[in-house]
Amino acid sequence: MVGVALRRLAQTGLAVWALASVVFLLSYRDIDAAVRLALPDATEATAGPGAGSAADQATQQAALRQRLGLDLPLFYLSRTTDPQLHWVKWRWNGAHNQYHHWAMGLARGNWGVSFRTGEAVTARLGRALSFTLPLTGTAAFLAVLCAFGLGQRLARRPRGHSLLQAALVVLHALPLFVVALALLLTLANPEVVAWFPAYGLQAADAGLDTWSQAGQYALHLVLPVAALTLTALPELTLHLSGALTRELRSDYATTARAKGLTEQAIIRHHALRNALLPTITLIAELLPALVAGAVVVEVVFALPGMGRLLADAAAARDYPVLVGGILLIGAARLLALLLADLVYFWADPRIRWHS
Amino acid sequence: MTQHSLRKLLCITIAGLLYSCSPQRADTDVIRVRWSHDPETLDPFQFSNQASLDAVNLLHLGLLEVDLTRLKYAPVLAESLPTTHLIGDSLTELRYTLRAAAAWDNGCPVLASDVAFTLKLMFCPDLPNEAARARFGFIEDITTTATAPRRFTLVCRGQSLEYLVASGDFPILSEAAIDPRGQLRRYSLRALQRRPVTAPADTVLLDVARRYRAASPDQLPGLLPGCGPYELVAWERDRYLTLRRKTNWWPDAQLQPVPAVLQALPKQLEYVIIPDAATATLALRRGDLDVYPQMPAREYARLQTSPSTSNPLRLYSSLSYSVVMAGFNTRQPVLADALTRQALSHCFDAAGLLEATQMGAGTRTVGILSPANRINYNDSLALIPFDLKRAAALLRQAGWQRGPEADAGWVRAVANRPRQQLALRVRYRAEETLFATVALQFQAAAAKIGVPVTLLPTESGTFSSSVHTGDFDVYVRMLNGNPFMFNFTPIFHSEAIGAGNTTGFDTPASDHLIEAITTAETEQRRAHLLRRFQALMQREMPVVPLFFLPNRVAASSSLTGLQVSSLKPGYAVKTLVRAPQPSPAP
Repeated sequence: MVGVALRRLAQTGLAVWALASVVFLLSYRDIDAAVRLALPDATEATAGPGAGSAADQATQQAALRQRLGLDLPLFYLSRTTDPQLHWVKWRWNGAHNQYHHWAMGLARGNWGVSFRTGEAVTARLGRALSFTLPLTGTAAFLAVLCAFGLGQRLARRPRGHSLLQAALVVLHALPLFVVALALLLTLANPEVVAWFPAYGLQAADAGLDTWSQAGQYALHLVLPVAALTLTALPELTLHLSGALTRELRSDYATTARAKGLTEQAIIRHHALRNALLPTITLIAELLPALVAGAVVVEVVFALPGMGRLLADAAAARDYPVLVGGILLIGAARLLALLLADLVYFWADPRIRWHS
Repeated sequence: MTQHSLRKLLCITIAGLLYSCSPQRADTDVIRVRWSHDPETLDPFQFSNQASLDAVNLLHLGLLEVDLTRLKYAPVLAESLPTTHLIGDSLTELRYTLRAAAAWDNGCPVLASDVAFTLKLMFCPDLPNEAARARFGFIEDITTTATAPRRFTLVCRGQSLEYLVASGDFPILSEAAIDPRGQLRRYSLRALQRRPVTAPADTVLLDVARRYRAASPDQLPGLLPGCGPYELVAWERDRYLTLRRKTNWWPDAQLQPVPAVLQALPKQLEYVIIPDAATATLALRRGDLDVYPQMPAREYARLQTSPSTSNPLRLYSSLSYSVVMAGFNTRQPVLADALTRQALSHCFDAAGLLEATQMGAGTRTVGILSPANRINYNDSLALIPFDLKRAAALLRQAGWQRGPEADAGWVRAVANRPRQQLALRVRYRAEETLFATVALQFQAAAAKIGVPVTLLPTESGTFSSSVHTGDFDVYVRMLNGNPFMFNFTPIFHSEAIGAGNTTGFDTPASDHLIEAITTAETEQRRAHLLRRFQALMQREMPVVPLFFLPNRVAASSSLTGLQVSSLKPGYAVKTLVRAPQPSPAP
């Protein structure tokens, strides 16, 4: 078991590296757009008497490329075409290339610097994660907890809870932004009820003690967490209840009933573990979402999380931040798959024996 | 613990949380303003976005600054506007004198050496100053004298009316704070400007750059002092930025009366970053925000129809200098002739679009100059009417022929070339509903005269690349202007093709006019040339200017002194005052 886990971990590490390398090389091929977007747009800036020609812009771009180290070749090998003979030539650039510098930096924990702000990528990602993880982590925890409770209840008396089931299906059909805006406009609106703050985390009030500040922080998270929980809950619950209902119709459940066990005991001690298998995949899907954040909720509630950071970085072609984010999310996804496999081993011994 | 006691604990926790949320902040010294984006950087040379410019203008002062309400440049660190001396026919000298009272926070005076240092820093390698280099590259040299440390002369390449104000519109930095040993003094501004990008590293310049970066407000706010009225208190990226009024700001004690442009009334400004417009409106209604500038039309209309009851608001509006326009790719053979472009310009229903997207606010225009700019706006030109019959007639005049069938398109035979078919692709930023509406209206109108139009809503970054590489037939976008600068070289001159001139439009006449406008000797001459330029652009029609957008501001009625402006950010923040709250009756 440990050997399998270690082997899979090594494979995961290699896969993450390959993913990050491919994203780096693909995105940096489009570096002209990033350079253009990093400079003021001719239609956005006040054109003073000095601004002007394409040659001026080319000079600006050259200076920017040099400052950001983008004037180096992209990879160890580069291809050039002879303008006269139209021959394709391959050139070996040695270690003096962007990929090598990036990879060496990454190995030393230096993920590069944002094109837009000049700030270290690790600092930007770290700060965004410090907002995202409590938000998505709490939402995922609550969604799983509620799904277990509701799933078991639905499985025990499927006909008695048809209204709940219908409500879950309706909720499942609602897009996240609708749920988020509905919560905001009903529970943070002075025209209805203003129980919760309308937007993100405001400046800390120096006059408040630690407990009050923690209370404020928790209060700011209530609506975003509720929006995320409500959208994740239906799928988890319906899957789990469906799987449990199937298991409760099986022969071993009938035997257990014949032995006089209560429905609750049959679910807890026999059916739940078997019904977990499809749900484990769904829960594993939540792990990369924990890291990636939820851009819709972060925008609606003005929270400075990973989703907003990566969406802004993609729009502005801030490739160091984008590649760093993808590296992190990719790692989380591959680790989630590894974790799901390990939980499968625990949940179903047959898989363990086959492997 | 029983289930009952668990529920009880949960209820107590929720009640506690709600209680802790309930009191509204009553800090009357703080004025909260909405920003839709984080400033990203407070580097005075980077000009990253509007939020960054707003903050930099409060932290630092330039020689001159725009008086937002009077729409005029006014002297700030300079004693007065500079005196201009033309040298031959290729150089301009601008003589400045700094205010005797202008001082840094430590009491040291702002001197000509600080101005020289700032200009040199703009051309120092390894700093994010590429935008500043392009903007102030026309200042070739600065001369100072030891005997008069507050006087200096800027030597500018070429001659232009705009040098008078453009030469003073940059924040001045303290030499003593970044380069106390005066290492940069050994380099002339001209030498730094001429230094090639590929020149070998210079340890002295790298050392200055390193100290500047270390002192940048992004890293340590206190190390790069500005002589502006505010100091940075806190900046949590993507959340808020707080500025506090300095208690010992130099004009308070030294200037009586304080000029309007040097007034700074709010004691504390808190810029709150709320990306979503609906959330920002809700925050304003709740009283969590005091000012919501550049409000979208729909939100503004909603506030007009259903006023806030919990936080009474005042709504302000003025005309902005942002014009919505469509551009034709003149490099495409079907759009290369002016007649076809003129025909298509009649397919835009500017009046209808203004009504639908701006609720009737805003102003139609004949050109890219604002009608508010009365001296330069060519009011003798007629607005382009929405007229599909005229559009079809002009297409026929341009040599296009329509097939006999109802759904047949327009074709044109060209000598020694394949037959041309008139079909257009319209590109616009997908996230902008205004542009989508313009594109949809154009598509529907063009379809009525048999011109097929394909819409290409495009992601912001890809839009920029596509427009730059000419991958479009028609685009819809916005052009931001101002009443001071009239340099159209970056967007319409042949020299800018491949850069900012995205329509690819160039004629010898337009190039000549653009050059004449930038070098005009008097305002009257420039106005005459600008009117001719607008007429030429309407004839050639590389772009169809549709309308100037309104600027909308909503603010809490507890604020007084809010003056709206046509220039961004759309209001003057430094004149805001919170009216004293009536004390409760005993």
